[in-house]
Amino acid sequence: MDDKERVQITADMDELTRRDLLRRAGLGAIVLVYGGAGVKNAVAGVPKFRHKELAGTLKIMQWSHFVPSYDKWFDNEYIKAWGEKNDTEVTVDHVNLAELPTRAASEVAAQSGHDLFQFLSPPSAYEDQVVAMNDIVQEVTRKIGKMGKVGLKSTYNPRTKKFYGFPDNYVPDPVHYRRDLWGEVGAGAPNSWEAVRQAAPKLKALGRPVGIGMSQELDSNMAMLALMQCYGGYIQNADQRVVINSKGTRQALSAMRDIYKRGMTTEVFAWTAASNNNAYIAGRLSLALNAISIARVLEGPPWVTTPQRTDLMQNTWIAPIPRGPAQRLGLEHVMGIYVIWKFSKNKQAAKRFLVDMQTRYGPHFTNSGFYNFPAWPGGVKGGFKTIRRAAAKDRFKPLGKYTILTTIAEKYTANVGHPGYSNAAIDEVFNKFLIPQMFAEVAQDKMTPDEAVRAAEREIKSIFAKWRRRKKL
Amino acid sequence: MAGLRRDVVAWLIVGPFAIVLAFPFYWMLVTALKTDADLYNVESIPYKFSSGSPTTNNFEFLFRDTEYGRWLVNTAIIGIAVVAITLVLAVPAGYALARLSGGVGQMLGIGIFLTYLVPPTLLFLPLSRVVSEIGLQDRLLALIVVYPSFTVPFSTWLLMGFFKTIPRELEDAALIDGASRLGALARVVFPISLPGILTVVIFSFSLVVNEFVYAITFISTSSHRTISAGVPTELIRGDVFFWGALMAAALIPSIPLALLYNLFLDRFIAGFTGGAFR
Repeated sequence: MDDKERVQITADMDELTRRDLLRRAGLGAIVLVYGGAGVKNAVAGVPKFRHKELAGTLKIMQWSHFVPSYDKWFDNEYIKAWGEKNDTEVTVDHVNLAELPTRAASEVAAQSGHDLFQFLSPPSAYEDQVVAMNDIVQEVTRKIGKMGKVGLKSTYNPRTKKFYGFPDNYVPDPVHYRRDLWGEVGAGAPNSWEAVRQAAPKLKALGRPVGIGMSQELDSNMAMLALMQCYGGYIQNADQRVVINSKGTRQALSAMRDIYKRGMTTEVFAWTAASNNNAYIAGRLSLALNAISIARVLEGPPWVTTPQRTDLMQNTWIAPIPRGPAQRLGLEHVMGIYVIWKFSKNKQAAKRFLVDMQTRYGPHFTNSGFYNFPAWPGGVKGGFKTIRRAAAKDRFKPLGKYTILTTIAEKYTANVGHPGYSNAAIDEVFNKFLIPQMFAEVAQDKMTPDEAVRAAEREIKSIFAKWRRRKKL
Repeated sequence: MAGLRRDVVAWLIVGPFAIVLAFPFYWMLVTALKTDADLYNVESIPYKFSSGSPTTNNFEFLFRDTEYGRWLVNTAIIGIAVVAITLVLAVPAGYALARLSGGVGQMLGIGIFLTYLVPPTLLFLPLSRVVSEIGLQDRLLALIVVYPSFTVPFSTWLLMGFFKTIPRELEDAALIDGASRLGALARVVFPISLPGILTVVIFSFSLVVNEFVYAITFISTSSHRTISAGVPTELIRGDVFFWGALMAAALIPSIPLALLYNLFLDRFIAGFTGGAFR
């Protein structure tokens, strides 16, 4: 074959290739455009993201964050940017915090729903329904360092060696108190439970009682468990044995009864999770135990749409849980934990999403108004040092009040079930509100501390035995 | 004089009831018109306005910052569809049980009513599976299919009692005059049964507007939600309640429902008590 012949064949091939290419492209376009209309999930027209094809979908269910602007940022900016980068169409649905368990039960029953489901307490009971997260926990740890102890103890089952959830954040649970009122009665600050006990009657006399719930709701649960810990009382020990019947628990029961009798009102037995917020914001309380939603609501925009309550805001300070005879140790207020259901259709994208979110958690921390603390401190570059600096610079008065929040998150926050791991039995005790019920019985003189603690012990032991039989403890 | 005394006694009995029953609506209205600062001002609760109140801000917030308008439309669509399905199934079922089955009909009627007593909090789990299997998750159709499971049994039972009060002779007369059974039903029985049918319409629609468990579990996209699921999701955020907007959201659908009840009050009572006397 001479050169002239080779050139001619090459030209013919070129011509054929171009023609073939055009024909195939035209055919492809017709199939893509018209075929898309007939098939339910077909991608019609131009790809959704420029230069890329849609690789899949990722459906997320999480709570309606108390900061509405966090949801706006997460739904409209964060997931869109992540989706574009990962060829994935991400959708987020929200539900009220109280409806998360109902929604989860429904998805498990239907064996369909969202790929990622965020719980706000350890979902130990769902261990058999979810994918193990051990691989991505290791990956994140490799990238940004060790996971915090609160997250670890809230998502790991030492018996099955499985991370049944992926912790993304935890929320410190400080004390909000009225500095003006505490100063007026000469009490300073609620540094210890003894100081609270001493100040309570004086504050009640001012018409501004102490507000600590003893009802069947989240805040009461957290407050009573924290109080028990400060007196050295626990539901279980590190080996997951029931140890509630202790001197510490009885002392805590007596102390709370005393605080209630001297400085509180009967309404605390009927509170909902919103009641302490409402009463505090209405100026009727001198102290409340809650996450920083109280302080942020007082500050108004950008956290909430309601206007700032300037006077109350300026007199509201934040403090760690008061010190008890045993220690100063509170609990997380809520624990953000994502699970991936076994029926999830896009487990890979779900895992990638979690890894990316946790390894760059800074914007989540700031957009949530310091509500969401990263489960891995290294999720915010620089760890607690950076977090402390950011919190100290908060622009709302009294300036610097959030500095202590980092110390609370770092030193004074434990998981529910401390000193052991959160587990299915602890979850059931928590959700049956047995601890606030025990405190309420004593405060109302329906039982002595000894009777109440023995009654609670009986019930808690039967719950632990049940879960032990199911091999989850 | 006796008439006056009777009126006074009647008002003394009815008055307190009316005040107690109307008070929640008053509270809703007042709260919906208050600014947040006023809402938390214990000096002005519940009778006075201060700090920039009354205001329409809460209503504006609902329609501007949430998908409330969409939820209203969804609720109306589902309500109308469920009422239609309920009528189509419950009217013939009620009539058949009242007329054609004798003692067996009575037993069946009680059986059907008992299914109404199974609470949604138990049924939502198996129904979740059903809804998922038939591919209706997160679609309005899911609620349109599921809601008749509680509107039809109650309506059938209600109409069965109502149809029993209609003298059989009226139908017999129509049949002798040459009407078919369906013709007798359409021309004689249904016009007399209007109070019962109207009661079913209002009652079924109210149940749909109020239902919460199915609405929150079967629908997850905000724009597909009904009022009962959308409002608590958007306006209760953790332990922060948007009280003013919540009350405005509850007030708006309650007004047409209250008007509907009042407009047809006599017929509504007749519908409910229709089966009580024979």
